[in-house]
Amino acid sequence: MATPSDRSPIRRRSLFKVAGLGAAGAAGLPILAACGDIESGDGAAQATEGFDFLPTYKEYELPVQPDLVGEPPNHPSGFTTYPEPAPAITTAAEGKGEYEITVAMWGSPPAGDDPYFATLQEAWGGTKINLRQADGNTFADTSVQWLAANEFGDGINIFAWMLYAHPNFQETVVNTFYDLTDIIKGDISERWPLLAGEPTNSWGQSVWSTDPEDPETARVFGIPSNFSGGPGNGVFVRTDLLEDAGLAMPTTVEEVLEVARAWSDDANGKWAFLNLDYVSPEWFGLASGDGWAYIDGKLVHNCERPEYTEWLEFRRTCWDEKLVHPDTPTGTLDGHVLHVDGTILMSQDGMSWWSDYSNQVKTGTAEGAIEPIGAIGFNGRKPIRFVNFSVDGWTFLSKDLTEDQVKEILDVANFCSAPYGTTEYELLNYGVEGTHFEYGDDGIPVFTEAGTGTVQAPVNLKTFSGQVEVFLTGDPDFVQRKFEYNASVKDFAEVNIWEGMRVEGPADYKSAAQTLLDQQADIAFGRAELSTIPDMVATFLENGGEAAREHYTAAYDKLHGDK
Amino acid sequence: MAALQTSAPPAAEKPAKRTSLRRRRSIGQRLRHDWPLLLMTLPALAQLAVFFYWPSSWNIIAFMDYKTYRPFWENQFVGVDWFLRLFDNPYFLPALLNTLKYSFANLLFLFPLSIVLALLMHSVVSTKLRSVFQSIVYLPYFFSWVLVVTVFVQVLGSDGLVSNWLLGFGGERLDIMSDPSTFTFLAWLQWAWKDAGWGMIIFLAALASINPSLYEAAAVDGANRWRRMWHITLPGIRPVIVLLLILHIGGILNVGFEQYQLQRDAIGYQTTEVLDTFVYYRSVIGTEGPSFGTAAGLFKGVIGLVLVLVANNVAHRLGEQGIYQKS
Repeated sequence: MATPSDRSPIRRRSLFKVAGLGAAGAAGLPILAACGDIESGDGAAQATEGFDFLPTYKEYELPVQPDLVGEPPNHPSGFTTYPEPAPAITTAAEGKGEYEITVAMWGSPPAGDDPYFATLQEAWGGTKINLRQADGNTFADTSVQWLAANEFGDGINIFAWMLYAHPNFQETVVNTFYDLTDIIKGDISERWPLLAGEPTNSWGQSVWSTDPEDPETARVFGIPSNFSGGPGNGVFVRTDLLEDAGLAMPTTVEEVLEVARAWSDDANGKWAFLNLDYVSPEWFGLASGDGWAYIDGKLVHNCERPEYTEWLEFRRTCWDEKLVHPDTPTGTLDGHVLHVDGTILMSQDGMSWWSDYSNQVKTGTAEGAIEPIGAIGFNGRKPIRFVNFSVDGWTFLSKDLTEDQVKEILDVANFCSAPYGTTEYELLNYGVEGTHFEYGDDGIPVFTEAGTGTVQAPVNLKTFSGQVEVFLTGDPDFVQRKFEYNASVKDFAEVNIWEGMRVEGPADYKSAAQTLLDQQADIAFGRAELSTIPDMVATFLENGGEAAREHYTAAYDKLHGDK
Repeated sequence: MAALQTSAPPAAEKPAKRTSLRRRRSIGQRLRHDWPLLLMTLPALAQLAVFFYWPSSWNIIAFMDYKTYRPFWENQFVGVDWFLRLFDNPYFLPALLNTLKYSFANLLFLFPLSIVLALLMHSVVSTKLRSVFQSIVYLPYFFSWVLVVTVFVQVLGSDGLVSNWLLGFGGERLDIMSDPSTFTFLAWLQWAWKDAGWGMIIFLAALASINPSLYEAAAVDGANRWRRMWHITLPGIRPVIVLLLILHIGGILNVGFEQYQLQRDAIGYQTTEVLDTFVYYRSVIGTEGPSFGTAAGLFKGVIGLVLVLVANNVAHRLGEQGIYQKS
């Protein structure tokens, strides 16, 4: 979309500019240009592979092999036993620095003086990492301002899904974070063997360019977190409630609707769903991420496809028939609480909710069981299942650090990359034996109350750096169930048409997409009619969607070769 | 006679001489004389400079294509492009209209409520009862909007206390928390619960300044309760009413942010988009950048200043004091 400057004729601006220049002059400020056009974010297309400046991959020999062998990345291998941990790092690094890293936190943050942190500090060589833990629910939005103000301590851990909140992350990265390239390129296996063992693909996804059009300006700016693969989210069903009602796990979208109708009872405060916004699009074959699919030789946005209307019809039906909790639009409800107390039957959530719920059942704070719905389709179409395409996130370091400080922090990152079966992994993921966990009868660590509060928190140093390989671990029964689930959906995994490239849409497109999201919610919650969809789509395309198609098409052609 | 005329009365001459002497005091003399007073104003001046005038000077970026990561002097001046972009934005006018709608609703329905509450409170004789009532009404002012909205969802939500009570009697669930058509009423309920107590306190302070002997004299003259209120109470607090009214008019484009942002998902963006949420979604977390948001803020500030000056002028013409005493 053209910027307003392009749209606005000069005659309209010229008169007013006098006022602006006058104000500048009065303020005694330099005027470097007579007047300039406003620069809008034009978007970016960043290659994430084919670089010669990444760490040279050197396979890290796992101390123990998994007993459940999958097909990573979408079907990770798993352990149903707990091996005797072996040290991954023979000579601990030495560090005396103290650094503050900002991380997201869901729930109550643990105290910084917990022995967990002191023990870790000693184990990795003395470097002190203070976590500045901020509310994960608002982290994405607020991190935009922290980065703009350069107030995030010495580093910040950002999840990949949070990038949507950043209007121009490309610009932010290259202006705010430390360029790691010269430190980590080539063979780093001597000092950081675990970082060298991280997949090259993960390091490739940590590259941004100061000028995306110029491949020579590409540099490594982030320490990659895990590359988990497989589904990242799901719709979880309370299988015990399903059985009590004599209903079966749905295997199609139509069955989901039947089950929801049979189970919901508005008068008695029972509803099938809380929200359906970010997982259910896959049931209708829509695209994940920015919503572009390559169909019949061109890129098509979700909202232009007939499946989009079907999806919104489905959501509207669920709302009109009172299958959705009536206070869902307020956004004030705690979905976990409602799922545990049986107010809602199905809950969309991250895959970690599955293991969290299972743990709650074990500790007696929840009853029954939950299972994610598999790959299901609508109207007989082949289902797809959204899966993780990228690393989970990155730890970015401040550009104000010195090279020695960065190397010291990389020592810590190296420690955090230790895989399952190592003493480093055990300490990082379970804490101190006797304080944070005890070995169960089957030899698998079980968290104590202190461990649940401190170590089991969803985010802390565990996401600081990615492990050399990610496995399914924990309760053997749960590992088995998740392994089988991943096996059942892996063949339906959505194909990533952007493999090898990270595309960021233009600013106007992002703005138009936000409006589209608002309008979707209006239809889903009965505030607008389905008949308004064509107008919605037209507005979206006019205000940035159509221009974005050109941007994405150019990136697609570059990635796949001109068609 | 001539002698009498040349010898001016000493009483008339002396004050004139004193006035003349005062005028001749140099700045240095004044500083030496007033330095303790000036010293006491320094913290306030420093606070104003750091937290008001310095940030206000950054309004200049409304006329620049400002980028956070660029050195300040490299940002080009673009005249009023950002203002034109603001007015061109298809969502600006609806946001402005919503802002005006809620602001006028607040002015019409909440402002008088605070006065009524203050009058009611003033009429309560029991000090203890007045203190309890005052605390109950005033307390919600200290609640955050997050808490206010959450309480409203718990009470008036579709799965809230009232809805479940109605269901028990065979009624229907309320949908006031997600119905755009009744949002102005909902907003008024929330203002009334949260803010009416604060307004009441200010009017109570004004009521306390009215001389009680006026009421006694009026009562002796046979004035009933209504006539005493009409002829003593309301005229007594009229300057405060006018002052607050003018300030309220000046802030007509400032309806707040959290109340609307928190209920955006529930009510829909068309109904809850006000200027502050518009700026938040387009500039703060949106793609338009800081210059766009600053332009919107400057627009609000200029409109507010003009409205305050106009309202104050009208107040002066009507014989009221306004926000300052007209010399």
